[in-house]
Amino acid sequence: MAGDCSIRAMWILNNLRAVVFSRRFPVVEKRWRAACQNENESSGDDPVKDTVFSSLPSDSELSAAFSERRTREGSVRGFGIRVPQSKEGSDSWVDDPITRHIVGFYINSEEEGENNLLWPLALHIKGPYCILILPSVEPKHVKAYARLCKRSDCGNAVMADENLSSLLLDLPSITGAFMVAYAIGDIVTGDVAEPEVVVSQSPSVGGLLDSLTGSIGISGISRAKPIAAPVASSAPSSAAAVGTLAPDVPKSGSRLLDKDALRSFISSAMPFGTPLDLSYSNIFSIKANGFSSLDIPPQDLKQPAWKPYLYKGKQRLLFTIHETLHAAMYDRDEIPDSLSVSGQINCRAELEGLPDVSFPLTGVSRSKIEVLSFHPCSQVPEQNVDKQALMFSPPLGNFVLMRYQATCSLGPPVKGFYQLSMVSEDEGAFLFKLHLMEGYKSPLTMEFCNVTMPFPRRRILSLDGTPSTGTVSNTEHSVEWKIITSGRGLSGKSIEATFPGTVRFAPWQTQRSTFFMSVLEGTMDDDSDDETENTNNMANTEEFLMEKMNKDLPPVDLEEPFSWLAYNYAKVSFKIVGASLSGISINPKSVSIYPTVKAPVELSSQVTSGDYILWNTLGKCPSAVNASVTQRFSNGGCQASMDKTY
Amino acid sequence: MAEKPPPKPVSPRDWESLTEDFRHGGARREKWSCLYPSLAELALSSILKKEFPFKIPLVIFLDEFSHLLFPSNSISSLLDRLIEDLRTTVQSPIDGAHVNYALKEQMMVSTTSILISTNSVETVEVRCTAALVELLLAVINRPNHGPDRHARAIACECLRELEKAYPCLLSGIAGHLWSLCQSERTHASQSYILLLTTVIYSIVSRKLSISILNAAVPLIPFNFPQWILGPEKEGSGIGIGLNYKELRRAMAFLLEWPRVLTPCGMMVFMRMIMPLAVALDLQPSMLKVQFFGMINSFHPVLCHVVLIMYSQFSEAFNEKEKEIVRRLLFVSLEMQQYLVFRLLSVHWLMGFLNRFMEHGVEMEKKSIIKMGFMFYPHLFDPLSLKAIKLDLLAFCSICMDALKAQSGSDMIVGEGKSVVKLFQDGLISVSAFKWLPHWSTETTVAFRTLHKLLIGSPHSEADPSATNKLMESAFYSHLKGMLIDMILEFQRLVPVIVAFVDRLLGCQKHHWLGERLLQTMDENLHPRVVIDYRIVSYFLIFDRIAENQTIPPRKLLGLLTKFMAFLVEKHGPDTCGKSWSHGTKVLGICRTMLTHHQSSRLFLGISRLLAFTCLYFPDLEVRDHARSYLRMLICVPGLKLRGMLNLGEQLLGVSPSSHSESFFSMQSPQQYQDPKKSRNISLYIHLERMIPLLVKQSWSLSLLPLGIGNKSKSFGGIRDSEASIDERELDASIPLRITSGDERVDKPWVPLYVMDSKVSEILEVLRRHFSCIPDFRHMAGIRIKIPCNLRFDSESFNHVRGGESPKSRLHGVEALPALYATVLKFSSPAPYGSIQSCHIPFLLGQPPMSDYIHDETASLDIDATYVGSGEEEAYKAPVAIEFEPREPTPGLVDVFIETYVEDGQIICGKLQSIKVGIEDLFLKAITPPDIPEDALPDYYLDVFNALWDACSSTSNTGREAFILKGGKGAAAINGTRSVKLLDIPADALVHATEHYLAPFIVSVTGEHLVDMVKYGGIVRDIVWKEEAFGLLLDANTSASELNRMPLQLTFTENEDERGSELAIGKRSMGCIDILIFLPPMFHILLQMQVSDVSTLVQIRTDHWPCLAYIDEYLEALFLT
Repeated sequence: MAGDCSIRAMWILNNLRAVVFSRRFPVVEKRWRAACQNENESSGDDPVKDTVFSSLPSDSELSAAFSERRTREGSVRGFGIRVPQSKEGSDSWVDDPITRHIVGFYINSEEEGENNLLWPLALHIKGPYCILILPSVEPKHVKAYARLCKRSDCGNAVMADENLSSLLLDLPSITGAFMVAYAIGDIVTGDVAEPEVVVSQSPSVGGLLDSLTGSIGISGISRAKPIAAPVASSAPSSAAAVGTLAPDVPKSGSRLLDKDALRSFISSAMPFGTPLDLSYSNIFSIKANGFSSLDIPPQDLKQPAWKPYLYKGKQRLLFTIHETLHAAMYDRDEIPDSLSVSGQINCRAELEGLPDVSFPLTGVSRSKIEVLSFHPCSQVPEQNVDKQALMFSPPLGNFVLMRYQATCSLGPPVKGFYQLSMVSEDEGAFLFKLHLMEGYKSPLTMEFCNVTMPFPRRRILSLDGTPSTGTVSNTEHSVEWKIITSGRGLSGKSIEATFPGTVRFAPWQTQRSTFFMSVLEGTMDDDSDDETENTNNMANTEEFLMEKMNKDLPPVDLEEPFSWLAYNYAKVSFKIVGASLSGISINPKSVSIYPTVKAPVELSSQVTSGDYILWNTLGKCPSAVNASVTQRFSNGGCQASMDKTY
Repeated sequence: MAEKPPPKPVSPRDWESLTEDFRHGGARREKWSCLYPSLAELALSSILKKEFPFKIPLVIFLDEFSHLLFPSNSISSLLDRLIEDLRTTVQSPIDGAHVNYALKEQMMVSTTSILISTNSVETVEVRCTAALVELLLAVINRPNHGPDRHARAIACECLRELEKAYPCLLSGIAGHLWSLCQSERTHASQSYILLLTTVIYSIVSRKLSISILNAAVPLIPFNFPQWILGPEKEGSGIGIGLNYKELRRAMAFLLEWPRVLTPCGMMVFMRMIMPLAVALDLQPSMLKVQFFGMINSFHPVLCHVVLIMYSQFSEAFNEKEKEIVRRLLFVSLEMQQYLVFRLLSVHWLMGFLNRFMEHGVEMEKKSIIKMGFMFYPHLFDPLSLKAIKLDLLAFCSICMDALKAQSGSDMIVGEGKSVVKLFQDGLISVSAFKWLPHWSTETTVAFRTLHKLLIGSPHSEADPSATNKLMESAFYSHLKGMLIDMILEFQRLVPVIVAFVDRLLGCQKHHWLGERLLQTMDENLHPRVVIDYRIVSYFLIFDRIAENQTIPPRKLLGLLTKFMAFLVEKHGPDTCGKSWSHGTKVLGICRTMLTHHQSSRLFLGISRLLAFTCLYFPDLEVRDHARSYLRMLICVPGLKLRGMLNLGEQLLGVSPSSHSESFFSMQSPQQYQDPKKSRNISLYIHLERMIPLLVKQSWSLSLLPLGIGNKSKSFGGIRDSEASIDERELDASIPLRITSGDERVDKPWVPLYVMDSKVSEILEVLRRHFSCIPDFRHMAGIRIKIPCNLRFDSESFNHVRGGESPKSRLHGVEALPALYATVLKFSSPAPYGSIQSCHIPFLLGQPPMSDYIHDETASLDIDATYVGSGEEEAYKAPVAIEFEPREPTPGLVDVFIETYVEDGQIICGKLQSIKVGIEDLFLKAITPPDIPEDALPDYYLDVFNALWDACSSTSNTGREAFILKGGKGAAAINGTRSVKLLDIPADALVHATEHYLAPFIVSVTGEHLVDMVKYGGIVRDIVWKEEAFGLLLDANTSASELNRMPLQLTFTENEDERGSELAIGKRSMGCIDILIFLPPMFHILLQMQVSDVSTLVQIRTDHWPCLAYIDEYLEALFLT
């Protein structure tokens, strides 16, 4: 039964590249060996045969292979795409960014000889740990990959007979391995927060003061110690605690690896290496609480595996619409500003039994929702243009009901420009002119708003200038302007804020990091030849400075959108409560529960800023051609099936 | 392994470190090997201990290393014990502290795992497995029971694993399992459902005819089914076929409950359901209705399940493609999603589209592929996502291109967008690549996309139409324009562009594309490049262009020459370093060209460039290098040159082994010296005279120098030519006849002699003559050059050196071995002074005889090689042995060679000595510079006459000392005479004389003889005397007459000679006078009195020892 999401082994390495935890699954391994044997028998004299590692490496062998790859590939993740340093047979030779996540090791072992390919390993880096999960695939897949990364031609060309994409499509076990890796990662770092659901106790009262005093985040109800009882265990005492707030246990990021927690998670989540349930909170509540004879299963329904306990107590339904606003503000004619909202509806259903909840989503058409995706517990709605009805059978605790991408239905909450001009090599004059909450009406409230000018590569000596409103402070590498401080929210009106000033930096010093020494040796010499030449030709300070600074610019990771260090920008951070910016909403009155039960429905919304960037209008800035998805699909009409066949 | 077995573990801490050792592997694990069986026993007993906190990890440890801890010799008892332990654990009540569900569950899991992985059914008896199954069945047989529901779920999983390991193990009790599954309503139901599904799956895949409704067989005790143990596991127990009706019912039941499954459970479930649906002929549309909605979930595993379902039942999912594509694109957009899933979704999409392009509905293809264009990278997308989205765009454009291939329109994609537009749009998202440094990730991503777009479609060199199409496409022309512009505008991008081209060049499929790009650059770049210092940034590209043989190097050479001129012009005190660095780089490119192109192709341009550099470049080192390149270019044939210049990189067609040691990077070559191989080098390396000696004696008469110390004027005697004399000794005893001349000045004057006007005239002539002769003690003496050829035999060279026969790979000139940087050193026992060594940069081995048939070389002896053809000359290096003789005596010059062969080894040793004959020392008399050209013959005649007179035994000049050039030394004439009768006819004599002695003839007398000689045309510019005067006289008389000797007596040695002289006299035809100057300051005068049948040669010399050689010489000249 090849192809299920089985895992052959997993390793956790610390930042010293030593294995701190490992687990092997002999049952899966046995199947793998049998497959290897079959493969070897069927495929006579395949040259790639030897490269497949048919057994599992020991911890020391793995750790050695890990270090070897790190050296070969430049970093733990690797180059990802083919660069001049890439070696044939290595991951980056395949020339695909996903090889930063799905990695291959060459194992040198006493029994099997040298350079045996161990692939695929799902690599997840969390905190100080590297988590490596080895899913079970068929030997032929490993061989296919081995061929890919030895191919002499131009890498993973599209439409080739053998390509990485098709391989990945055929291997759900890799997908599963990543799910496991993320679950394990959360456990080893103790970062097992559930989605945030905000309770507003008196939603009828609007306004600034109310939302401040009234809204209290109960984040991570089961973020309490992993052992602690989650919300809806059978014990009545803990159920009673739900109404009040679960204390927010401080995260212990630097704690030692809790091997016992890990072991017990693994024995429940994947006793034989095949994951069955990766829900951390469910598994730990079962481990901690067990079941009593009082836990009676429902009479005519099967209790889902993802809901081991049923809720008992006062019933209510909470929704929080949480949106993050990303914006790139250019203030230029040739580049349009771009605003995008990524949102999610978090839910907490304190309902007894196994009810179905359904409600129509309002404002979906207006807000140009581009992407909708849902929790597995939900029945996918008919995506009509006007009405989106959603039905779901809620699990316990806080969960993300749906996610969406949308455009902003209102204008940008912070609008204006930022200009920075270098008057000399070490002095810059800047000007902010911002409009806040223009066109925003109550109950939309901006709780706070900060603007930060980061100068990560320069040291600030002094700062001159007074803003028209708010306070200014600076650290060594950034200037922070607090326009609206928390406690003095802005609602129902818009304000304008300006901030002219100058900032003086310490003289630029060449900081050639070890990166340049190691990776780019040789290529740097050539530049030094031209330096004098450039000085003469450089027209203005700005360009000269940029030229100079770019010489030390390290390449960014592929996980970054662009090289932030190369640009001047100001980053805005704020929080707006009161409504969603996309326009999506839930009408509490139209939420229906089946079997019918009286339960109050509470709804709250909050918008926070993601990457909200004001690009320096006078400098260079990155941009992208925007292709709006909605428009292109508007006539396509996507009919999702409305399945009600259970 | 370990010397001392480690103590048995007792405490939890001991066990923990033991576990660590096992995981770590290697020696740390090895040290426990002696304890393997007892370790398992110990562990098993520890598990049952009440107070033992390390139970669960210990169980896992046993599980993970069961293949080591349960060795086959004791496996049976150990497994029995394990099952016993499990039974005890499972049956003991929960006490909260020592026995809890976690332990029970882990025990079940690990026991199952151990039994499966040790393959207990085959290795032991089935009883262990049967006992385990029975135990587990007892656990699960309590549906809906409250507290142990999770343990039941785990027990189901254990049973499922057993069923997977031994298919159809549980099929006999399928009916019971079904009913259990129906009744279970807690969250454990997932495990029951999966267990039942697995059982049905194995029934169907084994085609087992069994009723799954039949619950007649009791659940417990469990009977191990025969079909697992039977000899033919596949066949036994099989009836007529599957019980379709029952199985479909079971399926219907299973399909009712997908909603209770977790996403992971769903994956497991679907992997079994899909083949079941096929086997049981279920409608795939049913699955579609049931499960397609999962694609809208944000759980990646569920999305993937749908994709797999699609690939299995693509017909049933027709018309769902758009939705799938849309969903996958959306996943990639979800900012909340983990990056890896966003990347994966694009990959899935590409895999999906790839398959769709192959198998999809033709009509749909275009519209589906078009959807791919909807997704441009977003600004805040991570670069990896941008890269892969750009891949997708490239992929779609290539697909579109393929689809539109028939319609013929040129790469119009999407909504009328061309690939060019698409590409430009795409690049904006990484637009910073243009001004960021070339190592920035943005730049790498941008060029990667460029590469993908260019090569993405499977163009191949086999299909020229595809090639042409690409070349003519708008994209290619845009691309090359863009690249050129970029090179000119953003010099920092040059390294990336070069890397881009390199990548194309490195791929055998796209090599031609890289070459085309380089050609384009070569064509378009040079006219647009401004000659200034910034040109240096293009050197990387120039280097690639220089490397490429398909690009004529003319343009590049022109540009570089201009740049060199620019450097020379700009050179000043500030730019010293720059000039050096840039000049060196230019030479580097020249080197690249020399290594990659045919020398003939480059010759003109590069020699001009190098010559210019040699002459004008301000930096000495650069000049020096240019000179050596130029020298090599001229001296060394192409392939060898390329080999020499190669700095270690592999060249096309040149085997790397023979050139691995480059000429320049040679390090401490001495260590390579192999004395054995150097010993016999004279066998295959030959230094040969170009003009063979007439006198072919194998010995040489060599005179011991006349020492100053003893002043004895005796002969040194005759020695064998092989006898060697210490060189130093020789140096010390340079025969200074000249000093004896000086001494004579100091000697008491002998009685005065009469000096008449004639004598004073003679003295005048002689003084003038000697004043032109350089005095070698005080200035550079007269040098003698002996032209030679150095050559060596390839065949015997290879044979002796024992190297691999290069012919196996190469042929023609390329196959021949070569000598590099040869130094020839000479020494001689003869008084030749110090002889300058000679340098030969390169010499190619002579091909074996059979390789080139040549008549002369067939008898490749000493003689006649000079007439060899030009081809042959290629294998010879001309060498001139130059020396300053201190005494005109023949001798041997010993030759020592020191040379490098290709692998960097040194060969050194002695070659065959070179003979120096007396004729080598023959020179024309030195003439004073003030003698006009046309007066020379007369002058020579005067000198001849004067010397003739001076050398007569009765000369009056005997006491005279003639001051030599420089005025410091003086010489005296001490003449000697001799005669030689040559019995040869006149014409033979004249012929030989013309051939060998023509330059030295000063006059010919006698009408008949003059006619004979003059019209031969070889002898010119001498004094012709046609008057017959004196010809009838006898030799002595005539001689005295001619010399105008004032008073003489006929002197004859003996009667015989005289008689013969008289005999000749009768038919005398005339006289030939020959004046030979013998360095350092001596002379031989020959007067040949020619008659029809014989010739009498009168010999006079002022250096009597040379008479012996002359005699021999004349004999060799005329009589052999």
